[in-house]
Formats: sequence, structure tokens, C-alpha cells
Amino acid sequence: MIETIREHIDNLFAEAPKTRKAVDLKEEITQNTIEKYQDLLAEGYSQEDACQIVLDSIGDVTELFADLKESSSSTLSEGDRRKKATLRAVAVGLYLFAGAVFLSFQILDGIRFSTYIDLSMLSLVVTVLLCIPPTCMLVYAACMYPDFRRTEDTLVETYKEKAYLRSREKAVRSSVSSIIWLLTVTLYFIISFATFHWEVTWILFLVGGCMQAIAALIFSLRRDN
Amino acid sequence: MSITSDILRGHTEAIILSHLLDQDSYGYQINKDIMQKTENRCELKEATLYSAFRRLEQAGCIRAYWGDETVGARRRYYSITEEGRRAYQSYKRDWEEAKADIDRLLK
Repeated sequence: MIETIREHIDNLFAEAPKTRKAVDLKEEITQNTIEKYQDLLAEGYSQEDACQIVLDSIGDVTELFADLKESSSSTLSEGDRRKKATLRAVAVGLYLFAGAVFLSFQILDGIRFSTYIDLSMLSLVVTVLLCIPPTCMLVYAACMYPDFRRTEDTLVETYKEKAYLRSREKAVRSSVSSIIWLLTVTLYFIISFATFHWEVTWILFLVGGCMQAIAALIFSLRRDN
Repeated sequence: MSITSDILRGHTEAIILSHLLDQDSYGYQINKDIMQKTENRCELKEATLYSAFRRLEQAGCIRAYWGDETVGARRRYYSITEEGRRAYQSYKRDWEEAKADIDRLLK
């Protein structure tokens, strides 16, 4: 009889969206229904009657499906959000670490600890290498939005897709801006160490700021289109 | 008792909150309590109960978690939040006022 109950609930959920919430709801309803069925048996109902009573009391669950679908679209699940936050935090930590390594090399260079190796060039290479993983992490975190699949060709769905595209664009913008700044800093050090014209090379940061403004302009023009 | 079940349906959320005030509970337990308190006159439809759970959860009034039953299926328990307690208090005040008004009108 318990199998009949499970089967009935499986059928009710055949049309439900395939989401985590739907699975949870199904498990919740199944558990509560079986417990009620067992209580009815203990009260002295026959198996058939008890089964009929519990199945009747479930009612129409299709009205619940709308909620389940809503949450399955473009919003990130709790786990993904946490993962994204962790990725970002670790990336920032790695950048700081790279900075610290660079400074340590500078201090060592100042002491003239070893005259055999060109420490300034080595420090630059190590710093740039250290910056690669956090950059990849930031780009990956920005791309973590799930693909939006349009379920129905309605106005609401079209609007949702637009909203989703906007949030995706925002993510791309933030990763573009972090790449611009990273490139600026890297170029600044490479050119400075190559030429030793520190008094001029800081101008690169102005160029970086300019690039940032241009990128923002391109994005807003594209949105207007 | 059709009038009771009609009124009951409109207050599902407040009834759930009031059952969770003292201790955490799960769907069937809450429905059983309702039946006992009303001497088997009232029972909520499962669908009504679950959609109320979802609404309360979305409003931040309750939190759901899975129990750790070793025998049989896991129960999905609900616990009330501070937000839920506040919502319950204000609902209760509104209800007292409405009840007094209806009593006056039906005299």
C-alpha cells in the first residue's frame, strides 16, 4: 500500500519542474502522507480505506508548482553564492600575497643579499605568475550565472530573460574592469623595470583609468542599442 | 462546519506560526494538532498547508530543516524566526480587533 502512495505522489509530481525544491517538497509530502497512513492503520482502518483517505487529503498540488519554477530560473542557489564569495575572497587574498612577495623581493634587493641574480626581474616574473590564478578565479566567478532557458514565449519570460542578461552584463563588466587594472599594474612594473624611468611610467595609471571609462562607455552604448 | 474551514483557510499562516511558537514541528504533526484542538472538525488540505509553508519561508518567518530520523523517511521540520514571532504578534492583534468587530456586527 505504501508503494501505491509513493506511486500516486510520483504521478502528481510528473509535471513538476525538475528542481531541488520540487524534490524536497515531494519528499516532505511523501513522508507526511505515509505517517498519516500508518496512524490511520493504528486507529483500525483497513489498508484500502486508509490509503484512500490519505490520497484524497493531498488535494491539488499543481498550484504549488508555480513557486518551484520561479526559483529554478536565473537566481543562484545558496551553495553557488557561497562558492562565488569564497572564490572572490581567495582571489583577493592571492593578490595580497602576490603584493607581499613583490615587496619582500624589493627589500631583499635593497639589502643586496645576492648580487648574482637579478632580483628585480625575478620578483616581477614571480608576481605576475602569482596573479594568474586569482584572475582566473574572478573570471570564473563572474561566469557562474546559469544559462537562462526560456520556458514559455510570454511577455514575462521575455522580461526575465532581459533581466538575466542585464545581470550577466554586470558580471562581465566587473571582470573586464579587474582585468584592465591588473594589466595596468603589470605593464607599469614591466616598463618601469625595463626602462627605469619611474618618474614617467606612473602615467600608465591614468591610461588605465581612461581605458576603464572607455569600457564603461562601450557597455552603456551597447545597452542603448 | 463549512464556515470554520473557510475561515481557517484564510488564517493558515497564523495558525502555523502559533504552532511553532513553543517548539519546532512538521506538516503532519501540525495538521494533527489542528484536528485534535478542534475535535476532528477541522483539517487543512495538504496543498494549502504546503503553499503556506512556502510563503512563510519566503517571507523569512520560518526556516526549514531535515530531521535526522534513523527509521523511515526524514521529516522536514520548521522553526519560527524572530521575524515570524513579530508577524504572529501583529497578526494576533489584527485578529482580536476583527473578531470584536464581527461580534458587534452579528449581535
